Amino acid sequence: MLRAYVWLYVAVLFGPLFLIVLFSFHSTPAQYFPMQGLSIIWYEKFFENHVLVESMRRSIIVAVSSTIITTVIGSMAALALARLQGWAKSAFGTITFAPVALPGLFIGISLLTLFSQLGINRSLVTVALAHVLISLPFFIEASRSRLEYFDLSLEEAARDLGASAWDSFRLVTLPIIAPTLIGAAILSFAISFDEVIVTIFASGSETTLPIAVWSMMRQAMTPAINAASVLALSCVMLLIVSFALAGWLHRRRKLDRRKAFNDGAGA
Amino acid sequence: MTQAIVQLDRITKSFGAFRALHEINLDVRHGEILTLLGPSGCGKTTLMRIVAGFEQPSTGRILIDGADMVGVPPERRPVNMVFQRYALFPHLDVFDNIAFGLRLKRLPAAEIRTSVRKILELVQMQDLSDRWINQLSGGQAQRVALARALVNRPAVLLLDEPLAALDLKIRQHMVTELKRIHTETGTTFIYVTHDQDEAMMLSDRIVLMNQGRIEQIGSPESMYAAPDSLFAAQFLGDTNLLPARVVSVNGMVARCDIGIGAVDVPAKGLAAGNEVTLSVRPETIVLSADGVAPPGPSFRGKVRDLAFIGNRIVYWVTLENGQTLRCQEARTVAGLRFQAHAPVRASWPVEANVVLEG
Repeated sequence: MLRAYVWLYVAVLFGPLFLIVLFSFHSTPAQYFPMQGLSIIWYEKFFENHVLVESMRRSIIVAVSSTIITTVIGSMAALALARLQGWAKSAFGTITFAPVALPGLFIGISLLTLFSQLGINRSLVTVALAHVLISLPFFIEASRSRLEYFDLSLEEAARDLGASAWDSFRLVTLPIIAPTLIGAAILSFAISFDEVIVTIFASGSETTLPIAVWSMMRQAMTPAINAASVLALSCVMLLIVSFALAGWLHRRRKLDRRKAFNDGAGA
Repeated sequence: MTQAIVQLDRITKSFGAFRALHEINLDVRHGEILTLLGPSGCGKTTLMRIVAGFEQPSTGRILIDGADMVGVPPERRPVNMVFQRYALFPHLDVFDNIAFGLRLKRLPAAEIRTSVRKILELVQMQDLSDRWINQLSGGQAQRVALARALVNRPAVLLLDEPLAALDLKIRQHMVTELKRIHTETGTTFIYVTHDQDEAMMLSDRIVLMNQGRIEQIGSPESMYAAPDSLFAAQFLGDTNLLPARVVSVNGMVARCDIGIGAVDVPAKGLAAGNEVTLSVRPETIVLSADGVAPPGPSFRGKVRDLAFIGNRIVYWVTLENGQTLRCQEARTVAGLRFQAHAPVRASWPVEANVVLEG
């Protein structure tokens, strides 16, 4: 029973994703069964569509730069939050998470006002900054629950073994919290990549992928969009797999070197 | 002459209005195992953290190997610490945990490998150098923590309740292991614990602490046999406390009234009329069947309760004035000599009486 439930859960979670991948290889524009053959025509169509390719490139630029800014600010804030005590902790925690409850519409309008007051022209820079604002609370909230459990005696142990404050952060704290930060960064990337409402207010003449797709869908749905999604998905998966592979290879080489040394010393 | 490796000179430490340590003076000798023993909150951990450099004393001086350490950060002190919950780095394997300190010193790779191998042999973990930390048992993690600290050849090894997280069986085994490692390395150990058994088994000297002050310093044996205070008598081992009044002093011996009769005690420093407390260890009390009068003063009572603990037996004997004595004897082939409610006589030698203030 539990097993059936788990399968159902997985199906609901990954079903739509699977359909997108499947129909991106469909030879006709139809988005329903039965399928009438396979082809890569939609991938060709995607790369021929200048608007889609260009907006995807912009989306990636915006998502990457806003994720980097969010990760730097967010991890410092989360680390500070994990060390605060008492009323300061709850006050700071509430303030950082409160913007989540604010409708995107208000954030968009207030940003629009702010940018015009400051005389800043709207561009991809303002879009990226707006995305930082939106993803920051999620980043902090996603990482702080894990950082709260970070054992501060690990830093003391590093200091005790001869590490300066900076070395103990670099060699102990950062590697241990890295998986948490990477997870939160992926979340920020995803938030930025498909953000629509605030992006409309913050962007100038250059649009991002979701907005390009949105305006295209008002006319006609093209499976080239499926192809675009699959390409984006593959990029992320390729990145994760290559990181895992690099880590595994590094470990293998290290153990081999160690073994060679011990065999040499033992002989 | 052996110069002290650590000298603490009038160390005080306050956290806000709270005085954690009052004017602590202490010399730690080269190569000894010195235990800081006391109940939680007595200041023993704070004192160790001051030696390690994680806390700064409010006033006073610390010298390690003759050098003034006030204001010197932990990474530049010639001491290493074994943390209470080990604080092993979860992102590194056993080898890299132990090599951590050596790498920071930028030693050549071959030298690091040799040192790590030697120290792994010392703690008998040579086959587990590639394990991740979360794959280790508590006892193994303890050994890695010891190795990680000792590989740096510290002038002093600090151990903060290192056995508190282990099962009783492993704990007893690790005590003998610590003794062996201490003998093989010759390193000075400062050991913090609240466990009197660990302290007595391990220590060359015990520093008994209470409420931010040192109560008594001495070898385990001398402190057990001759506690200076009520606190020391009660904290180290079990004891019977008897309120007493000095009736007369006659040379080396003073006669004390303990309510149901009189006992003789060593007279040192006593005068007639003094109100004192006598400490009598359970194992010094001899029980005999009622009717058989042992030599010297003895007191009639009834066995209220008893506990059979394998190699020893504890009897709680209620005397005629209502006072209950805890008496302990080694089990012999005779087995249980008395049952509950049996009438008995309790007696103990003059030297068993330790006189404590009021």
